[in-house]
Amino acid sequence: MRSVNREDGPVKVTGAARYAADHHPEGLAYGYLITSTVARGTILGMDTAPAERAPGVIAVYTPFNPLRLHPYTQADTAELLPPLQDDRVCYYGQVIGLVVAETFEQARDAAALVTTRYDAERPRASFTAGLPNATPPSGGTPETDVLAPGVTSIDEALAASDVSITETYTTPAETHVAMEPHATVASWTGDRLTVHTASQGVRLPVERLTESLGIDAAQIHVINPYVGGGFGNKWGTWAHTPLTAAAARALGRPVKTVLTREQVFTVIGHRPITSQTVSLGAAADGTLVAVKNDGISSKSAANDFYESVADLSLALYGSANLHVSRKVVTMDVPATTIMRAPAESNGSFALESAMDELADALGMDPLDLRLKNDTPSHPVSGLPWSSKHLEECYRVGAERFGWSRRSPRPGTVTDGDWLVGLGMATATFGASRGEASIEVRLRDDGRAVVSGAAADLGTGQSTVFAILAAEVLGIPVDRVTPVLGDSATPPAAKAGGSGSTSANGPAVRLAAEAAKEAVVKLAAEHEKSPFRGEAVTYADGEVRGGGDAMPFGELLALLGVPEVEVTATSPRHPRREHAFRSFGAHFCEVRVNRWTGEPRVARWLCVVDAGTIVNVKTARSQIAGGVVMGIGQALLEDLRIEPDTGRFGNATMADYLVPVNTDIPPIDVEFLNYPDTVLSDLGARGIGELSIVGAAGAVANAVHNATGRRVRDLPITLDKLL
Amino acid sequence: MEHGDPSLRSSSESAANRLVEVTCTVNGTARSLRVDPRATLLDTLRERLELTGTKKGCDRGQCGACTVHVDGRRVLSCLTMVATLDGREVTTIEGLAEGDRLHPVQRAFIDQDGFQCGFCTSGQIMSAVALLREGHASTDGEIREAMSGNICRCGAYPNIVEAVKQARS
Ligand code: FES
Ligand code: FES
Repeated sequence: MRSVNREDGPVKVTGAARYAADHHPEGLAYGYLITSTVARGTILGMDTAPAERAPGVIAVYTPFNPLRLHPYTQADTAELLPPLQDDRVCYYGQVIGLVVAETFEQARDAAALVTTRYDAERPRASFTAGLPNATPPSGGTPETDVLAPGVTSIDEALAASDVSITETYTTPAETHVAMEPHATVASWTGDRLTVHTASQGVRLPVERLTESLGIDAAQIHVINPYVGGGFGNKWGTWAHTPLTAAAARALGRPVKTVLTREQVFTVIGHRPITSQTVSLGAAADGTLVAVKNDGISSKSAANDFYESVADLSLALYGSANLHVSRKVVTMDVPATTIMRAPAESNGSFALESAMDELADALGMDPLDLRLKNDTPSHPVSGLPWSSKHLEECYRVGAERFGWSRRSPRPGTVTDGDWLVGLGMATATFGASRGEASIEVRLRDDGRAVVSGAAADLGTGQSTVFAILAAEVLGIPVDRVTPVLGDSATPPAAKAGGSGSTSANGPAVRLAAEAAKEAVVKLAAEHEKSPFRGEAVTYADGEVRGGGDAMPFGELLALLGVPEVEVTATSPRHPRREHAFRSFGAHFCEVRVNRWTGEPRVARWLCVVDAGTIVNVKTARSQIAGGVVMGIGQALLEDLRIEPDTGRFGNATMADYLVPVNTDIPPIDVEFLNYPDTVLSDLGARGIGELSIVGAAGAVANAVHNATGRRVRDLPITLDKLL
Repeated sequence: MEHGDPSLRSSSESAANRLVEVTCTVNGTARSLRVDPRATLLDTLRERLELTGTKKGCDRGQCGACTVHVDGRRVLSCLTMVATLDGREVTTIEGLAEGDRLHPVQRAFIDQDGFQCGFCTSGQIMSAVALLREGHASTDGEIREAMSGNICRCGAYPNIVEAVKQARS
């Protein structure tokens, strides 16, 4: 397996990488958002006069003096309506105004001078209170059942099983807290718009801006190669982006709007609250015979996204009878949106906890129960998995981690003041191969430029471009320049659904092959070519023929051709004959202080079956990063909604806890590296989301093994262990 | 219902009209600035001096992304008013390498893959440089504790510890 340093390492460690907010076009003005202080109601009026009189203020936009934005026409993971177009408030912290001033300080302080009068209504802000009135999602499938012949209901199958358990698992709202707050810098030259904005795919804001500004996509150029983390919250295009672009157009000068951290919590969406009631029924030998999961997700009134949180229960373990249902509780809270492994991360917490509870009831080792129910085909469709080595993940992991040392009796292993427990869980995430187009340019300086409107959110995607192109072209990796995050380049796969490398990887290889062919053809046909008329081949970065060889750069220079440019498109995989998923196994050791109840993760191993790993160095980091976020989910993260006001009560980085360095133990990552040749020649599936799935379940299982306490409500804080 | 903070009104109006003279050194270069008294060192670096390597993650002293050195000590530039820096020496991430020669900590972050998105990285590196100088990096536990003021949401923590250890040796 290759292990290559990130190609963007030098610019990232020297501060030279320019993120969205780092741009300063000539004549820049500063935007500052005004956000609502009620969660539901109508804005009666806004007194903007003091702000308009404040030094440096250029404009104050509100619903009463709006920038005209057209309705969005396509669904997105963000809000359904553009900001400021009416006087309704549907959540606390909604954008209700924009101040533009000469400096940031002036804009910020002027925004604080605006007073707003509301006709406030009582918000629907309690998930628990909304549960009795949960409704099937509009446009979604409310229930899915798979029943064995002769079985009439899932409950019948459960009743007929030798052993069964039923428990309810709940997870709080969470939020991404990508380190880079959202920012948009917009400048117009005539009727052409240039935008720097953090996005998981630069074509996404182009679409939104086309709709809302009423201009052609061809007039919009989004350039943003460096993104300070996404995790789902830079997929949707949020209110500040069209607003800033419209302000720049109205004022005839560039405008930069950077969200404050507090604004990021509400202007940008969050992961919904979920509840799952899981029943598992098994034969005495551990074979699952019934899996039932009734899942409920919160959903914002401002958009349609919710988590189909129970669905993972249909895919992970084989069972003759399966049932899941989906319901939503609509709340007057900021947009609900995708966050790393949407639905599956919460879904796995419930399923993986329930598997351990079933193992307990059966008197079986939890690892043996999982081995028993490993399935060679998708439990619902019956399609065989394209490539699945989950059993090997379990066995390799158990051996390497020392699983045999786990005490089957909880609460019996101690080390001084600490109760020690081991836990494990299955990691998994769906895989696909989307369509992707990539351009390769071979230049007369011997370099290759590989471009596509993909995004590197810290994933290592740009380095993957360089590695794969270099390999096909037979040149060193550092002679390849990857160009990502530019909407003017071909439509490569965006960074979402763990589908970047699986789609863009094959496209990079195709385009590089095509570039080789193009330079061979040029060598054989160009009138000034020394290879003219020869049988020309290409190897190791050189064109060869008639016993001679020349690096492609030299040849191009000789011919006076500055570059050879080709674009290739790798098609979407139809996925008709196989099911596709990545798999893995988590093993962890958790220590719980016997006096304070404080849980600490002491050790972690994740064994990964995700197909070909293109760059083991960055892949290991990405898997570890997912585990870190999973530890946060398990032990810390909890976005609190005040039931009376609908306000997030802990919307700062000091109050919404995410892991810090000292919370994280060494994380061991092992890749099996079996190419998934059904998915593509490259054989890479995807790893962005895989390792957060199962992580919280593994922690919960280890906490139970340490203490005998089963916590079914995340996060597992010390008060629940006392 | 009425919202807005009236106490901010008078202060903002008067403050905005008064500028403060500050002379300080930034990455070895003397700078004389007339600054808004409300301006933080962070915003001044980023918006006035175009030294955008220092990042704003929270603007409230909660994340560490804005860490720089003032007179060799690590400070949070979002909590440092630039008006207080007369005669002081500021070093940012841009002032660490000598020409093309990376500082050993920068080199170690690349070698150990001590970052993913890179947004927290300037702050992590400035903290790491200072804690090595302070001698607070003798054990893994000490490094993890001393680096815990710098949040990395990408979760590069184990590699950051390895990078600090590489730079230490
Ligand atoms: S920006 Fe200064 S600590 Fe977060
Ligand atoms: S590298 Fe992304 S936040 Fe640290």
